[in-house]
Amino acid sequence: MSQLKDKLFQDLTDAVVNLDEDKTRATAQQVITEGIDAFEAIDKGLTPGMETVSRLYDEQEYFVPELLVAADAVYGGLEVLRPYIKGENNGKLVKIVIGVIEGDTHDIGKNLVRIILETEGYEVIDVGRDVPPDRFVEKAKEVGADVIALSTLMTTTMEGMGEVVELLKAEGIRNRFKVIVGGAPLSQAYSNKIGADGYAPNAKSAARLIKRLLTAEPVVA
Amino acid sequence: MGEQNPKQRLLNVLHQEVADRPPVVCIGGMMNAAIVDVMNTTGHTLPDAHFDENLMALLAQDVARYTGFENIAVPFCMTVEAELLGSEIDYGSLACEPKISKEAFSSVGNVSFPEFKGLPDTCRANTVIKAVRKLKDKRLDDPVIASITGPFTTAASWIDPITFIKEMRTNGLGAHRVLEHVTEVLVEFASELVRNGADVIALGDPTATGEILGPSHFKNFALPYLNELIDRIHKLGAPVIVHICGDIKPIEKQIMNIRGDAISTDAMVNLKALKEAYPDLTTMGNLSTYLLEFGNPEKITQVTRRLLHDGIDIISPACGLSTSTTLSNINALTGTVKKKSKK
Ligand code: B1M
Repeated sequence: MSQLKDKLFQDLTDAVVNLDEDKTRATAQQVITEGIDAFEAIDKGLTPGMETVSRLYDEQEYFVPELLVAADAVYGGLEVLRPYIKGENNGKLVKIVIGVIEGDTHDIGKNLVRIILETEGYEVIDVGRDVPPDRFVEKAKEVGADVIALSTLMTTTMEGMGEVVELLKAEGIRNRFKVIVGGAPLSQAYSNKIGADGYAPNAKSAARLIKRLLTAEPVVA
Repeated sequence: MGEQNPKQRLLNVLHQEVADRPPVVCIGGMMNAAIVDVMNTTGHTLPDAHFDENLMALLAQDVARYTGFENIAVPFCMTVEAELLGSEIDYGSLACEPKISKEAFSSVGNVSFPEFKGLPDTCRANTVIKAVRKLKDKRLDDPVIASITGPFTTAASWIDPITFIKEMRTNGLGAHRVLEHVTEVLVEFASELVRNGADVIALGDPTATGEILGPSHFKNFALPYLNELIDRIHKLGAPVIVHICGDIKPIEKQIMNIRGDAISTDAMVNLKALKEAYPDLTTMGNLSTYLLEFGNPEKITQVTRRLLHDGIDIISPACGLSTSTTLSNINALTGTVKKKSKK
């Protein structure tokens, strides 16, 4: 049994790295048929697969098209496995509202960040591109988000990020959310300046930043 | 050698003939130089100038006059092509460039290919063509550069970009079919621009960067269509500048296969090293967009001098200009290049 389990987990990992959505789904289905724990299959099969893919992306072995296809494979696997996750495992999903700030339509980077966060198990609500500051606030309130993640690639639109923080303050709900920022012209210094909680230079570091922010001090309701 | 006029100088460099010094230019389109400072001074403003050929021509001349760039460039955005194909455009404001508000199709699989019957009279592509005609008729000393968005970027502005980028892998044939259609439309647009007097065509294909596509997709899905477009423009007698965004390292070997007359690159690219590696290449660039916006004239002068010293053939901003860049910073760039001839 354990041998089969290890093999299936390895197959899942390989299928993701080989960008094979059909194989990923079929293997996930086999995991279920064999009565193997779905959560473990995600944790030890799909997640390492996506980690390898994002390492290959960092090493410029893979590029954006490969990352997108791998993500689809992971989503396919998750769709099969999720319904079988036993209730108690990791409690409530952390919710993240992500989008590109008003005036800017560059959304390739934001989509990569969303994908990495989703494949790491976060629930991500994507509000799209060219999004006015108040939409972020409304959406975050509506879904009860833990994190607001703001992306922009343009210096001329960065200021909109500060506005999100100001709106939260004005409504007296700044403490309810962690606000993180990213995109080429951003920096930790800019994040400090506008009173955000942190800056991440790329998708993987955004995931690490969120983990750090949420474990360091629990979000006050 | 006597001083050449800006048009002669640029054309000479593009034809690999002798020039008295490097030209300093900004190609328009994705590298729009209609900054807020200029528009507020002259009152010829965006977004209005996107729609009116007279205003477009006037603003293009204002830009050359106040910035010191030695060319006239139209249009001021990179959405004309996608609009022609049916995507929805948000025309932006004085300070914010136009953008695609909604691509016409969500996926390669959904595209209906209308028969392309030439450019409709009322499209903005025609406004650009008419503006070029007006500029041509003024017989200016400055070359008129018409900027066109490259095939891959246009395709990824016609179809949802994330899906399109993915579909190179999952529906390669469909992606090629889209790119063929887009290239056909762009050839028509480019041809009209040349016939109406554009001295140079500049192609910017920012979504087709080495960092996004990687070498194999660049080779299969970007390069052939760029070259097709370039060849057809060459047949009409106009030289072509190609701008590649981002770090070119993943696609460096492909650069020599681009059949354009000059390659313009982003700021992180070491143009001196590129020139050494490929001595036949006509290089253009690459003063950082961010330095131009946030730097000071002294630093900009210093970096411009280095580009001149390194023998870069055409001096220009790296990859774009923020609309809030100041005139004093841009003039530090253009002024430094122009001073070279007086030495
Ligand atoms: C919340 O937490 C986080 C954490 C990390 C986060 C994060 C959020 N968001 C991003 N990250 C980070 O993680 C990601 C993954 O690791 C990374 O994301 P990136 O997005 O950096 O990386 C992506 C995976 C790949 N990279 C990209 O997708 C961007 C590449 C470049 C070349 C680029 C592209 C592709 C495009 N462009 Co344009 N474009 C440029 C870019 C120059 C460059 N080399 O960066 C840039 C951003 N563009 C620019 C410009 C000027 C423009 N573009 C325009 C349009 C476009 C295209 C549509 C053609 C296309 C975008 C397609 C799309 N749907 O996204 C226009 C924009 C119109 C508008 N108002 O929106 C236009 C205004 C051009 C014009 N004159 O019309 C420049 C901005 C200058 C400025 N003012 O700051 C620019 C820097 C080029 C330059 N050097 O001039 C990190 O930044």
